[in-house]
This record gives sequence, C-alpha cells and structure tokens, in this order.
Amino acid sequence: MRKSKNDLLQGTLTLLVLKTLARGPMHGYRITLHIQMVSKDILRVEEGSLYPALHRMEQDGWVSAEWGMSENNRRARYYRMSAKGRKQLAEEEKNWERLTQAVAQVLEFA
Amino acid sequence: MSWIPRLRSLLKRNRLDHDLDDELRSHLEMRIADNRAAGMSPEDARIDAQKRFGNSTLFKEDTRAVDTVGWLDECARDFRFALRMLQRNPGFTAVAVLTLALGIGANTAIFSVVDAILLRPLPYPEPDRLVRIWESSAKHDSPRNVVNPINFLDWRDHSQSFESLAAISGLMTNLSSQGQPIAVQGMQVSPEFFSVLRVAPFLGRTFTSAEAIPGQDRSIILSYELWQRQFGRDRAVVGQKIDVDGRPSEVVGIMPKGFSFPKFRAEVWTPLPLTRSEEWKGGRFLTVVARLKQGVSLSQAQQDMFRVANFTAQARPDNNKNWSANVFPMLEDVTEGVRRPLWVLLASVGFLLLIACANVANLLLMRGTGRLRELAVRSALGAARSRIVRQLFVESLLLSLAGMAAGLFFAHLGLRSLLALVPQNAPLPRSEPIAIDARVLLFTFFAALFTAVVFGLVPALRLSRVDLQNALKQGTLRGGVGGHQSLRRCFVVAEVALALVLSVGAGLMLRSFARLISVDPGFSPEQLLTMHIWTSPARYQDDLKRSQYLDRILAEIRSTPGVQAAGSTHFLPLTEKISGSCFSPADQPAPSPAESPSAQFLIISSGYFQTMRSALLSGRDFDDRDRFNSQPVAIVNHAFVQRFYPGQNVLGKQLRVCWTIEKPVEIVGVAADARQAQLQDVPEPTIFLSNSQAPMYFATLLVRAAGDLGQIARSAEAAVHRVDPDQAVSDIQTMETVFSDSVSSPRFQAVLLLVFAGLAVALAMIGVYGIVSYSVSQRTNEIGIRVALGARSADVVRLVLPEALALAAIALLLGLAGSLALSRAFASLLFEVTPTDPATLVSVCFLVLAVSALAAVLPARRATHIDPMVALRYE
Repeated sequence: MRKSKNDLLQGTLTLLVLKTLARGPMHGYRITLHIQMVSKDILRVEEGSLYPALHRMEQDGWVSAEWGMSENNRRARYYRMSAKGRKQLAEEEKNWERLTQAVAQVLEFA
Repeated sequence: MSWIPRLRSLLKRNRLDHDLDDELRSHLEMRIADNRAAGMSPEDARIDAQKRFGNSTLFKEDTRAVDTVGWLDECARDFRFALRMLQRNPGFTAVAVLTLALGIGANTAIFSVVDAILLRPLPYPEPDRLVRIWESSAKHDSPRNVVNPINFLDWRDHSQSFESLAAISGLMTNLSSQGQPIAVQGMQVSPEFFSVLRVAPFLGRTFTSAEAIPGQDRSIILSYELWQRQFGRDRAVVGQKIDVDGRPSEVVGIMPKGFSFPKFRAEVWTPLPLTRSEEWKGGRFLTVVARLKQGVSLSQAQQDMFRVANFTAQARPDNNKNWSANVFPMLEDVTEGVRRPLWVLLASVGFLLLIACANVANLLLMRGTGRLRELAVRSALGAARSRIVRQLFVESLLLSLAGMAAGLFFAHLGLRSLLALVPQNAPLPRSEPIAIDARVLLFTFFAALFTAVVFGLVPALRLSRVDLQNALKQGTLRGGVGGHQSLRRCFVVAEVALALVLSVGAGLMLRSFARLISVDPGFSPEQLLTMHIWTSPARYQDDLKRSQYLDRILAEIRSTPGVQAAGSTHFLPLTEKISGSCFSPADQPAPSPAESPSAQFLIISSGYFQTMRSALLSGRDFDDRDRFNSQPVAIVNHAFVQRFYPGQNVLGKQLRVCWTIEKPVEIVGVAADARQAQLQDVPEPTIFLSNSQAPMYFATLLVRAAGDLGQIARSAEAAVHRVDPDQAVSDIQTMETVFSDSVSSPRFQAVLLLVFAGLAVALAMIGVYGIVSYSVSQRTNEIGIRVALGARSADVVRLVLPEALALAAIALLLGLAGSLALSRAFASLLFEVTPTDPATLVSVCFLVLAVSALAAVLPARRATHIDPMVALRYE
C-alpha cells in the first residue's frame, strides 16, 4: 500500500471529509463545495486528493458509496458515513484537537 | 488495511474502472454547469474544470491504486519488466535457464525415485503399523534370517503385540489352463496374509484358515494382471478349477489391480499349510509380516518378540539355541539395501543444484555490474532499496521458474533413461510406478523457489547497495565492481569445491565398480544360457521319479546340436540366493543342529562344473555311478577345505548333512571357489550335493553352446517339452545378462555419479572461465601495454593464471575436507576401495586443477591476441 508522503495533510483531508459527511450523504463535488464554502474559500480540496481519499475511506469501511441522482438530476456517486466512520471521526477530531493545542502551546511559548 | 474488499475490487477491476470514469465525469459536468452559471463561456468553463483535475491519468492511477491491491499490481509490473530484461539478454537468459534446468531436472528425476521408494508410505491401510519379523543369529551374523515354520507358529500363538502375523514363502507354479504351460511366480501365504495387509480381493474371497490345513489347500488367488492376460477378465473364472502344478485348484479370488508385496514378483497366491510336524523342525525359509496392535510401539513389540524367541529357544534348543527375533518397520525393512545409495545420489544432485545456483548467481552479478547505471538511476528517481531488491529478485524467480519448466522436461527424459538402467526382472523393493507426479512437482517447485532465493537474493542485496554517486558520476562499468568480484570469487571457490567432492565420489564409485567387475567369478559367463524350471509336485512327488526327470531333460538338451555341455543348479550364482545347512563329521557323535558348523549348499547335476567352466581341484565330478539309491556323495569347495580341514585330504571323508539326506555323504571331489550370492561376497564354504540323490522341485538349467544363444534357447526349450509337454520354462537369459544385472545397482550409482560429476565440473569450469575472463577484461589496458612492450603470450598467461590457480587451490582444500567429512557415509557403498583412496583423491585433484587451469588459460590467451592499439584505447 502506498502511503502518502504527507500524513498530516492526508489526515486532515480525511477529517474534513468525514466531518462533512456527518451532515448526510453527499457526492464528491458537493463535498468540495461544502468545504470550500464553510471554510470561506480558505480550504480548497483538490480533486486529485479528494477521490483517492474517498476511495481509501470506502475500502476501509468508513464510508459506503452508491449511485444516486443529484439535486439537478445528474447521476452522481453518493458517499454515506458508516458507524465505523463515525468512530473514526471522533478519533480524528480528538487527534486534531490535541495537535492544534500542541501547536498553539508551542506558538505561545515561542 | 482491510484485504478482502481490496481483493474483491481487484477481481472486478473493469467495472470499477468504469465506475470511476463515470464518477469523475459527473463531477466534471457539475463543475462545468456551476462555472457556466457563474457566467463563464462554455469553453472557459470546461478548461477551468479540467485544470482543477490536473493530470487526470496520474490521478486516476492514484485512485485506482487505492482500490486494487497495489502490491499485487506492482508485482505484476515487476514481472513484466523482468520478462523484458530477460528477453533483451537472450544469451544470458539461455545460459542461466539451461544451468538451472540441469540442476533442477537432475534433482527432480532423483527425487522421484527417492520419493517412490523411500518416502511414500506403503500402499496398504495404516502402513505404519506393518512390520517384518526375522530370526536373528549372533553366530551367523544375520539380523534378518528367514524363519522356521514351527517358530512362526509359536510366534503367532505366544506373541501379544500383533493384531495378526502372516508367513510367506516364494514359489514358482506351472499354470496350464489352456494349451501352453506357463511358469508364474507366486507366493504361498498363510491365510492371515491379506488381513495383515488389510487388502480385500477385487473378486471372490481370500483364504480361510481351513485352507491352511495340509490336503485342503487346493485354492488359488490370481492377480488382476494375470487374470486380464490369461483369462481375459472373465468373471466366471472365480469358482472354476484350473490346473496348478498338475493338480486342479479352485480360483477363489482375484486381487485388485496393482496389488503387490515388496520384493516378491507374485502373480498368484496359494495357501501355505503349516503344521508342527517333525519335517519342519530344521529349515528356515519363511518371510514374516505382521500388523502391530493399535497403540503398541515398535520397541514394545521387539521386547515381546525377545520374550517369545526366548521361549522357542528353550522349547527346542537343538534348533533355536542362540537364535532370537528382530522386528523392523516394514518400509525400513524392504528398503534396507537401497536407502543409503539413494540418499547419497540425492545429496549428490543437491550439490549439483548448489553449483548451478552459484554459477547463475555469478552470471547475475556479472550482468548486474553492467546494470549499475540503470539501478543507480532508478534509486536516484526515488526507488526504495526494497523495491530494487524485489525487482532483481523477481527476475531471479522468473529465471528459476523457466529453469523449472525446462528442468521438468530434462527430468522426464532423465527418469526414462534412469529406469532403463534397472534390470527388468530385479525384485524391486517397491513395485509402485516411479513417475513425476504431484508430490514430485511440489518438490520441484520448492527446489526452484529455493534456487531463486539462493542464487538471486545475494546478488540482489549486493547490487542494490550501489554507491549512487560513483555509479552515476563515472558513467563506466567500474563503479562498485571490486566488491562483487570478491563475492564472485567465493562463489567460484564453492563451485569448484563442490565439483571436487562430487568428482571424488564418482571416482571412488568408478574404481569400486571396476574392481567389482574384474572379480573372477570362478566360472565363465560367456556363451552360457540359463533357464528356470519348476517341477509340478503332483506329478513328480516320487523322489526317484523326480531325480530321473531332470537327468532325462539334461540328456535331451545335451543331444541338441550346438550344445557343448549342460548341467543344473538349484540356485543360480549371482542372483543373491544362497541356502545353508548344518553338517558334522560322520565319525564323531552328532551335536545338536544349533551347535553344528554350517555351510552353504548347492544341489547340482553332473556336468555342472564342466558347463560353468569351473575347475575341479581334485577327485571327480558326479556321474552315472551316483544314482538315487547308491552311496550318497558330495563335492566341497576349496573354501570348505580351508575352513574345516586345512591341509588335509578330504576325499573319502564322510559328512552328516542336516539337509535332506539321512545317510552320511562321502566327499568325492574338491571344486575351485566361485562366487555365489553376489560378486562382492567372498566364497563361503560350500557342499555340493547331487540332484540325482537329493532331488529338488526346481532347477536352473545351464547350457553352454557355440553360436547363436537365442537359437539354442529355442532348441533347449523344445528339448524340455519333448520330455514333458506340460513343463513350463521361464527366465531364459544368458549368464552374461545375469552377470550384468547382478552389478546393476553399483553400475547405476557409478553412472549417475559420473554424470553428475561431469556436469558439476563443466559448470565449475564455466565459473572459473567467467571470473578469469572478467579480470582479463579489467586488465585489458595493462595487458595491451605489456604486449606493446614485447610481452609474449606465455608472459600474459602467467599474469592471470596465478589468480585462477589460487582459487582452485583453496577450492581443492575445501573440497578434500568435504570429501573426508563425507567419507563415512560413502564407505559402505564401496567395494575394495577405501573412501580415502589416495590414488582417486590425487587423480581427481589433478583433474580439477587441470580443468581449472584450462578454463583460466583460454581467456588469458585470447587477451594476448588483442591489438595493443585497441587495448590502449580501451575505455
């Protein structure tokens, strides 16, 4: 299995996608829009990272995918978070908090 | 990492690819639609959407790598790449594959023999519980002596370790169902035989205990093969009466196809009637097989048998004093004589495979140095070391798999010629077919895997440790080569050392075999014909009639044109058959049989010595005076006189011979010694008795004749049929064939070892050649200068030879040490040659040294022919 060179970024993307999917099933394009919108254009998810991440999460059983129709009647692949994914989200949120706290502490100290 | 969905996704890869395309297209379209809604032109909307995706192929690859088992995928890629690399170097590939194929093929062929004979369980249910039990005598130094019938009955009644025991005696039978009589080998067996083996008949039944009672034993069981050949698989044969040895016997059963018992080539089974009657008291002739009770160990059974043997020794001390009983696992027992030679052969081919591996490893290293740049570039581009090792290893694996495929072909051919070396009518320890089957294939596969690891891993690890900087900077082949060269030297030393060990083995076997066949057998096997007859007991039960019967046959044969002499013996020399009997001087009170001296005996006709061209040293041959009722006479051999009457005149002395004759026999002649059981056995003291006075039921006729022996054989058979048209004649062969078959197993070993050693030396020579060629090519510059300055070719040879000779010398020392270490395993296979035979060691060392020097001189000489100008410009 190929590991991404930047585990931090990878992990962050997973966290963002999971958090987004916590709102309900969504297709890939919608996920990018949502993250971009909520982060007020600061975070832009590259398609080149999003789809490998989505498929990896699917293989790991955090999300499941099925074909459906989008709001404007296009065929799209919808991702839905599973129970396992929910657990993973909680885990990653905790990690993220620890990380940001640690970074904040370093910044304050310095 | 969850494997199952990934594996599943690998299987439905096509559909997934499709899904992915759809998903991305839908994404793209939604983006375009939004872009359009935001006011972009259709063209700009599309370009913007696509730009966001970047390199879509790479990105699809990435996504897919997540879905499929990336690892497997990469391996497949490695394989494709390796295939391309091998195709690009057809010469290298051919040499490597051929070398491996020889090694793997030879191993497969020998392993299929070892597996079929030594490893595979016997073809009966729960074969681990089968044992064979022999009598043993400290006095005769025989741990496996055939068994006395009354002792067998005692064993059966008093032992506690066995479910059942069965006794076996070999026999020949004359079947004459319709027309031509045929002689068939068979076994007389006690009724328990089939239940000990747990084999049910194909048709009918096996013997009942009632059939073991003398007089009620007129039943016969046929082999499937005989039933097919002689009775056309007619089911109605069961229950019918057929003529067996002149008496009608009922066919009670047919055994299943392929049923056999080791070391007996039986096609019929008849009941063996055993009683405790006096006449059985003396002789020992039974083979005993038994099945251990569930949970009884071999040593418990052995203890049990010691106890029972103690009982029989006390019950009948005359015959059993100093005799005991030995229990052996059946598989071990039947493979007793062949186990060591086969293991030695397997070890030898194992060495051969190691040499092949070393050779290919060297080739890989040599080629690897040429690939340093490629490897350096790859690792500069970010390939991990493990990735490069895997890449190189996959190439090795591919080579060894190709070697395996070609090796299986070699093994198929080799096995055929191997089995052709085994005499047709040798009683093999196992009669199951020897073939390349699933078990052997599995072995071959693992052998190939093993070779890939041995020859592939070391070079792969070594080559992957490239000094990047150097390899890229220099741009020549020089980078990192020095280290590989010393590794290659180690491989070459190992090769030459192993080749030496094999050559020493082959040399010893060859010398031993030469010694063996130059043994004077004490008779002359040329122009001598042998054939076997078995006299039907029913028609020749009367001793007088039977004694005259053989005389009449011999007289008829002697009158045949072309026949110079004819005679008979009950056991043909060099067929591993001997019979023994106790005896005592008639002028002293008779000791008990167990305390009497014993000698071998042979029942022969008059004219035996003349026919065999064996010398009579003194006295006379048997002749017409020695009739059934006249004074019993005997001839003894030189060894007998030496052992029991050294320096005395034995003519006229009287002996009591336990075998068969009540009246004492008078010694009338002394014969020269001849080899009996096998060529390597020194002649034992032997008493010859006349068939006219102690008639046997069977005999081997010997016919010495001039001209075509095939023609003589037909006339002799016709002569036998003129005396009795129902007399079957079997095993017609020349004494030269008998002689040659008798040494077939040492010949088998010698030939195989010689072939292996030859291959080993050839491979080692290639190894030496390769390494010297390489150092010569490295020194082309230097050699060019030397030649330009006037060095002659001898000088140049002197320049490179020391390296090769130093390697060879180290290898010789290691090889000699190896040979000495292995000599003990070898000793028992040799005849009149010690495993440290100096002549063999010296000549093999010399040979290996000479071959190494030759392999070194060739590239050195070639170097001297290089044009100095070219050499100087080199690089």
